[in-house]
Amino acid sequence: MDNETFITASRYLGAAFSVGFGAIGAALGEGYAAGIASESISYKPKASREVITTMLIGQAIAESAAIFALVVSMILLFGGPDFHSLNFGWACIGAGLCMGLAAIGSGLGAGIPAGQACLGTVIQPATSGKTNTTMLLGSAVTQTPAIFGLVLAFLLLFLDHSNMPVYPGWAALLGAGLSMGLGAIGSGLGNGFTAGEAVYGVARNPEQVGPTSMVMLVALGVAQSSAIYGFLIGLMLLFVTPKESILIADSARLLTAGICMGFGAIGPGIGSGIAGAYALKEVPRKPEERGTIFRVMLIGMAVAGSTAVYALVISMLLIHYFK
Amino acid sequence: MEELGKIKQIDFDILGYKLVFNIETIIMTCIVIFVLILFSVLARSRMGLIPNPFQVIAETLAKIFYNLCEDALGQELAPKYFKLIFSLFLFIWLSNIIGIVPIFSEPTKDLNTTLSLGVLGFIIAHYSGIRAKGIKQYLKEYCEPIFFMAPLNVIGELAKVVSISFRLYGNIMGGGIIIIVVSHLLWQILLPPALLFFFGIFVGTVQAFVFTMLTLVYISLQVR
Amino acid sequence: MEISGADFIRGMAFLGAGVAMGLGAIGPGIGEGFVAGKACEAIGKRPDEAGLITRTMLVGQAVSESTGIYSLVIALLLIFVV
Repeated sequence: MDNETFITASRYLGAAFSVGFGAIGAALGEGYAAGIASESISYKPKASREVITTMLIGQAIAESAAIFALVVSMILLFGGPDFHSLNFGWACIGAGLCMGLAAIGSGLGAGIPAGQACLGTVIQPATSGKTNTTMLLGSAVTQTPAIFGLVLAFLLLFLDHSNMPVYPGWAALLGAGLSMGLGAIGSGLGNGFTAGEAVYGVARNPEQVGPTSMVMLVALGVAQSSAIYGFLIGLMLLFVTPKESILIADSARLLTAGICMGFGAIGPGIGSGIAGAYALKEVPRKPEERGTIFRVMLIGMAVAGSTAVYALVISMLLIHYFK
Repeated sequence: MEELGKIKQIDFDILGYKLVFNIETIIMTCIVIFVLILFSVLARSRMGLIPNPFQVIAETLAKIFYNLCEDALGQELAPKYFKLIFSLFLFIWLSNIIGIVPIFSEPTKDLNTTLSLGVLGFIIAHYSGIRAKGIKQYLKEYCEPIFFMAPLNVIGELAKVVSISFRLYGNIMGGGIIIIVVSHLLWQILLPPALLFFFGIFVGTVQAFVFTMLTLVYISLQVR
Repeated sequence: MEISGADFIRGMAFLGAGVAMGLGAIGPGIGEGFVAGKACEAIGKRPDEAGLITRTMLVGQAVSESTGIYSLVIALLLIFVV
């Protein structure tokens, strides 16, 4: 098999991964939003116009992650750069995995606040402006891990990797994609839980919209830290040029650094999101306790994120210690 | 795009050990410090009942952070740590935002800066904890709830430092890389500045706030 | 391509270390997050018990962490010792 065949085949495979995985999250998230919207209309049929408008706005944001995945697929199929080393083939597969997997979490995560916004609109129609603003804010910040995935996919595609040896460079390129892709799933979903509860809380207590938004933004930022670690390991795998070696040990080492960080970021992302969700349920209801709840939420999220730090340390050891 | 992986550095050889200095980070940090000192001098000049604009900004921010410190530390301890927390927030916030100005780059884009700030918070928290509780009580707390959990608690403490430093570093550097990649791929004028606004100001402010709040929370955990 | 036995074993050891730490980090993350969330909810219901609730949360999270630590230990053993 010569280079050109391998590169063409891997472009198609990467495009398939990108849009295949990317379609999952957005569809699930938008479906959830539509379901909750239908339920809300059943409570109050006269509000159907506002509910459908809110639902469509939220679904549009959830769709954006899938659009990123579609863009990467298109670039892989039709456009993109013209490199001829074997590394470029592996980079294509890595880029496809990276964007596809990263879009799962953010798609899911943006659908949950959209559904809660519909419910909030029906329960208290006069607050729909503030509810929608909070939903937009929360959903937009939830898309950040998908944006990081897009950036890493572009770096994989457009940088010239020919100075990296093919063995074990292939594992580094694939591992970078897996690290960012898998790593973004957990924080996307967790952020969705947090933003959803925040939006519903604002609907019930609209005068608390300012402090609640502040707490929500901090909670979203902290929960995204595991996706950031995934991005960092992806960058390290891309830019730390390994020594040429046909040993399986070196290839396995780099590939598994990506797998380790990728899977390791899923749990803490979801857990921190759940912590934020329950905290944001209480913050609008009890403004005088906001300080205590905020502090306990931060402590809990920091401890929940510690296993992501362990995975980060193991991945960094695997990459750097054995140069 | 190729200059993404390179850093401007100066290497010194002292006594057989290699010392590496990141010139860009050092210069930008000095600029940030200078701007902060200039801001404080301007805020304190001609202080009166009708305040000048810098004084208004400074007092508003100071009040917000003093309330946060009081919430976390209680009324007696708040004045002691307030200066540290407020300075930390101002430094990180200005460092994150300064990337918007064309030639400047953020000092927090370098892991050296963020890791140093994290270690700073760690040392202050633990030193205050030892001074407040005494060394015996401090060591005993590592053995809760069961004796052989001690190494796990130590790892947990180190994990806290790593997580806040890497979170700040990753967010700021990720934003910078996104802007470089998008500017490389697009020929239009509109999208890069919009992204710059989002990643520079919005993410920069949120992450500065998160870092400061977490440092405050860790100090309050040790001291109370 | 000639694959030597020692090289293959070392490669699989690395792969195992990564999978161990990666999958092992999922559970504690979700569990400890759930604990933190319920603690926030409890403080919302009974703010005067905040200290007790926080301590309970930390103890529960520390116990939850234990399986994550097992994964960390096995990963380190696979990388350095075996």
